[in-house]
Amino acid sequence: MRFTRALLLFAAGAAQAASSWSFDDASISVAAKKGSDAIKEKFSQKAPLTKPVGLGSTDTVKVILTAKEDGKAKRPHQAFVTIKEQETGLEAPFTLTVKDTGRAVVQISQKDLPVQFLLSPKPLKASVVIGSFGEARAINTPVFDIEIQTDPNAPAPKYDAPLRYGKKPEIHHIFRADPQSPPKVISMFFALAVAATVPALFISWLLLGANVNHLAKALGAAPLSHITFFGSIIAIEGVFFMYYTSWKLFQVLPVAGVVAVVTVLSGTKALGEVQSRRLSKER
Amino acid sequence: MRTILSFLLLALTSVVAAISTSGNRLLVVLNDVADKATYSKFFADLEEREFKITYETPKSESLNLFNLGERTYDHVLFLPVQTKGLGPNLTPKALLDFVNAKGNILLTLSANTTTPTSIVSLLSELDITLPTDRNSLVVDHFNYDITSASDKHDVLLLPAPKPVRAGIKDYFSEDAGTKLIAFPRGVGAVLGNGELLNPILRAPPTAYSYNPKEQSEVVDDLFAAGQQLSLVSTMQARNNARVTVVGSAEMLQDKWFDASVSKLNGKPVVQTFNREFAKRVSGWTFQEIGVLKVNWVEHHLEEEGMPNDSNPEMYRVKNNVSYTISLAEFAWDHWIGFNVPESDEVQLEFSMLSPFHRLNLKEESHRLAAVHYTTVFTIPDQHGIFNFKVNYKRPFLSNIEVKDKVSVRHMAHDEWPRSYAISGAWPWIAGIGATVSGFLGFVALWMYSAPVAAKKVTVKKTQ
Repeated sequence: MRFTRALLLFAAGAAQAASSWSFDDASISVAAKKGSDAIKEKFSQKAPLTKPVGLGSTDTVKVILTAKEDGKAKRPHQAFVTIKEQETGLEAPFTLTVKDTGRAVVQISQKDLPVQFLLSPKPLKASVVIGSFGEARAINTPVFDIEIQTDPNAPAPKYDAPLRYGKKPEIHHIFRADPQSPPKVISMFFALAVAATVPALFISWLLLGANVNHLAKALGAAPLSHITFFGSIIAIEGVFFMYYTSWKLFQVLPVAGVVAVVTVLSGTKALGEVQSRRLSKER
Repeated sequence: MRTILSFLLLALTSVVAAISTSGNRLLVVLNDVADKATYSKFFADLEEREFKITYETPKSESLNLFNLGERTYDHVLFLPVQTKGLGPNLTPKALLDFVNAKGNILLTLSANTTTPTSIVSLLSELDITLPTDRNSLVVDHFNYDITSASDKHDVLLLPAPKPVRAGIKDYFSEDAGTKLIAFPRGVGAVLGNGELLNPILRAPPTAYSYNPKEQSEVVDDLFAAGQQLSLVSTMQARNNARVTVVGSAEMLQDKWFDASVSKLNGKPVVQTFNREFAKRVSGWTFQEIGVLKVNWVEHHLEEEGMPNDSNPEMYRVKNNVSYTISLAEFAWDHWIGFNVPESDEVQLEFSMLSPFHRLNLKEESHRLAAVHYTTVFTIPDQHGIFNFKVNYKRPFLSNIEVKDKVSVRHMAHDEWPRSYAISGAWPWIAGIGATVSGFLGFVALWMYSAPVAAKKVTVKKTQ
């Protein structure tokens, strides 16, 4: 009882199932040149090929099948072999030439494929799409993979992707390197070496008999001039120092001018006093 | 009190504001004025959006797109006509002049009528290719409506279209839910490779186009199939004028606007999304959505202690500069701030002849009708005349291209680091100090020293 009920349900299910297209006697062959011997492999709707089919630059892939509606061979309106590239999803359909008997044939070679397919890193997936008007259900089954074998001697196919509006890669300007100083140790060493020449100079002067014995006499003879003269020479150095640290040119020039006038005026007197000491044989 | 009044005024102006950004004079060209009735809901929706519609047939003589050099209409909608041409006033050249004058065109095709040659040549000017025999139908044996096209499979059911790649703003599939778009008896086109062409709705991978008169038994010469067939195609010209080609005029008819359809392996009964989709496609074509505007651009110096007045004309090498641009988008009847899509960026190029910097701008703040995009960067160490350039062109959005010119000068003589800060200069500074102190010492010695008595050299007589 249970067995017959199950059988009845199964039969009802089979009858309920809409009519559908299918294909049979399907085979794929790869010929090295048109007409020469080919490697033939069979496939079916339930058993697609497991190994990818290699397609060289002069090879032609030939797919033959018989389209059937509900088991009877019939000519469908749509019989395509659609080849899909996995990276971008691009698809290219190839129409099968179908005779009234349902026998369908298509030949595909590398030159029929879009150039993006020839540059794809992964194998291409081919499916058979059979459909037509009316109630019968159409089918879209993957059947085999194609591996493109490019000719190593021929130049590689070129593909320039078309311009599409979108964000572009960021650019950050690379700046020239800032000027660098040598290590501070070296600078310190040489700075100290230079600074050491000053005491060396003064000491050597002392050894040669340097003295300021006539200072009292000079100040006694012309105190204001000498003080002003020597002071103005120190002041000029002071003006240069201010120029170095903060003043601008046109702040420096008037001050330097004033100090120069002072130097000249006091200098005549002060150096005149020095001259008088020279003329009196004290120098 | 005053703030309440100003807010009321603001609200009033936003209600009264113009609806489309480019005018509301719409010309509808149809075969026969009686056809109006089959599209009554679509036209009622357009009139609700404040379009002033004029209905004309191509045979009418008073029809003129231009008057004294100005456009007489802002938008044109073509429904399928039975005549071979569109009359002397709607030649392809007149329509291209209309587009060059920033007019928008929404063109609908149908598989039931042969496409007029003038439309085929107009579209081939825009690089949209229709089948050469002008009689074609898109069918799909997998995605058709079983209630109305169980035999002929010429009513396609498609989900609302998502953007074809990341970064494109999604205008056409929001709130679609499970509703499907019905595409009855339509024509598919193939788009050229240009960047101005974008499909809104593409055919499913199993669909194909054939000529029902000559290829009813078998398809021998395939025009196009799968996603290469564009069912609703768009072209936005560089002056932002928009041309949309809707492959099926019937999808705008009343009977498909709120119909119930069902797919082969899908849910039993589903509503069509056609009314909302028609609103969005016509809204995009007639510049009600997808229109961008730059409110203002501001750049200033971003250094401590330096003045930061806006948009100076000169900067210096290696200054830090802040740049902000305020963008707004028109959404049906008012301006709102423009939010850039997820994986897309608004980019600033700081360029002389080629970009020295190309920086992504960050969304900084949102105001009532503006979103500010900003960045801070360092000016390159090259002097010259530079441009701040924002070049934002994306599918389905109007073009934004703003350029601001600034001069970049070199470091001034007093902007370099001082020598006492440069460690390599220390020996030289020590040298200066040594020279100065030596000089002062010499002056003092020379003026105030007494001569040293020379040691008497006793000469010893040698024997």
